[in-house]
Amino acid sequence: MTRRLFKEQTILFALYGFTICGCLVLAVILATVFIKGSPAISGAFLFEESRNFGLEGGIFYQIVGTLILMAGAALVCLPVALGSVLFQTEFLHSPQIKKLFRLLIYSLNAVPTIIFGLIGYLFFGVFLEAGVSWVTGVLILAVMILPTLHVSIHEAVESIPKHYREAALALGLSPGQQMRAVILPQSLHGIVTGTLLGLARAAGETAAIMFTATAFSGVKLPQSWTEPVTTLQTHILVLAQEATNPLALTNAWGAGLVLLMIVFVLIAVTLWIRSGLQMEAQR
Amino acid sequence: MNVNKMFPERGPAFWWTGFTALIASGTIFILFVSLVVESVPVFKVQGVSFLWGTDWFAGESYGALPMIFGSLMVTGLAVILVLPFALGSAILTSEFLNGRYRLMVKAAMELLAGVPGIIYGLIGIALLTAAVRDVFGLIDGNTLFTAGLLLAVMILPTVMTLAEDALRAVPGEFRDTALSLGLTRMEMVLKVVVPQALPGLAGAVFLGLGRAMGETIAVMLVIGGIDRIPQPWFDLFAPGQSIPSKIGREAAESLGFDLQWSALIALGLVLFVMVMALTSAGNLLLRRAR
Repeated sequence: MTRRLFKEQTILFALYGFTICGCLVLAVILATVFIKGSPAISGAFLFEESRNFGLEGGIFYQIVGTLILMAGAALVCLPVALGSVLFQTEFLHSPQIKKLFRLLIYSLNAVPTIIFGLIGYLFFGVFLEAGVSWVTGVLILAVMILPTLHVSIHEAVESIPKHYREAALALGLSPGQQMRAVILPQSLHGIVTGTLLGLARAAGETAAIMFTATAFSGVKLPQSWTEPVTTLQTHILVLAQEATNPLALTNAWGAGLVLLMIVFVLIAVTLWIRSGLQMEAQR
Repeated sequence: MNVNKMFPERGPAFWWTGFTALIASGTIFILFVSLVVESVPVFKVQGVSFLWGTDWFAGESYGALPMIFGSLMVTGLAVILVLPFALGSAILTSEFLNGRYRLMVKAAMELLAGVPGIIYGLIGIALLTAAVRDVFGLIDGNTLFTAGLLLAVMILPTVMTLAEDALRAVPGEFRDTALSLGLTRMEMVLKVVVPQALPGLAGAVFLGLGRAMGETIAVMLVIGGIDRIPQPWFDLFAPGQSIPSKIGREAAESLGFDLQWSALIALGLVLFVMVMALTSAGNLLLRRAR
């Protein structure tokens, strides 16, 4: 074997080594959550309320709380994201302003989530007087997932073939009619995948809602606008800090597994829709 | 600026979408302005010494240096740890794996990038701290090193995916030319593709840095929570504090308008500026790569 070939093989070997190590670490993490979490999962765990500060009972209201927050956030966010994308693609013609708009959305995407929590509390909790409540949480998460939805919808709208628009223009449609008849139906997949990714992001977020929207124990369904909810994320957070108590830890792993499943299903559906589209495009 | 010329058609659709666009684009300004306005009180009391003070005693003095230091340390450590794995697997996936395996790896990475921070936090507090304690013979496993290690695992999918995209963006002609000159596959990758993709790879790393710096929950649970610069400063196996973990720990007890709250917002402002600098640099490099 020549030296050149030897070098080639060594580096390739190293690359495989790094890749396998990286994948192994991630696989170990997933396996850990499954192995540690599955003993806790049962019908009672999923459908009972928690008792004794989360040490006994289930996580029913935690699941409901997480679902309320993520669904609310997506519902609030979707019209805003859709509108801002349409304004950007249909009414903005100057490339500089378009670029600036994109830059602002990308910057929003980079903001650490804890800052959304801080300023969101000031804005929604104090100025709008929602206090520490599920409404504050929904609004904060809606702002947080805005870039996710925006980018996904924008991509879909941009990829509509030019002659679709030309046909709409030739029929004399106003911008509003064009949106309804051509752009929305043609970018539906982007709207769906964007919303799913946004839901996944909202479901996985803890820092932004832990001191603005949630309470740990004694909370069921919110009865008014200004009541907090309890969520899977904050439930895990509190139980994890009692890591010396095996009972707390078991329930924390169980809640973690449920949360992970929610997020994974959302992302997997997104990937599935996307790969289906790609196959269609190749045909 | 002529409004009639810029926007010839102004029906209801225009006003409705324009309003939502204003919300979407104005949010980042509102965030920044609120951070600045709300942090004024602490700067009035402490002056700029807030930034390099080393003591943080609620009600007495507020010094941000230990938190800034902690953030830089854990982020830097995370990037050093993640680099070989992220770049190695990006190169392998982009240049040596065939289409189907490549898509599988990409899908797995996308799935993993979505794992919530609290899950990493749980793994950290339940398993990693004990492992770090036993392996390195420490009294307590809650250290800057533990936080950096956890962050490295967290940002691996992000950095790997972006780096892989950057490598794929190098045109095929470069590869064909290199191969036709008699370079081996690996020589082609290391001497042609990687140098060509270097801005993009750097951009991927910068974006990963930005993400790591802003991560709250996982870091908060394993970093130790002590507002002190370790002695000596490079001692990674000492407990510390990062900016987001400090905010996360103390925001709930000081929700409101006293000086403590203002000091936390000021910390948020420092974090915001650092993360924005990293992310802008990253986006700039990625755009140049394209």
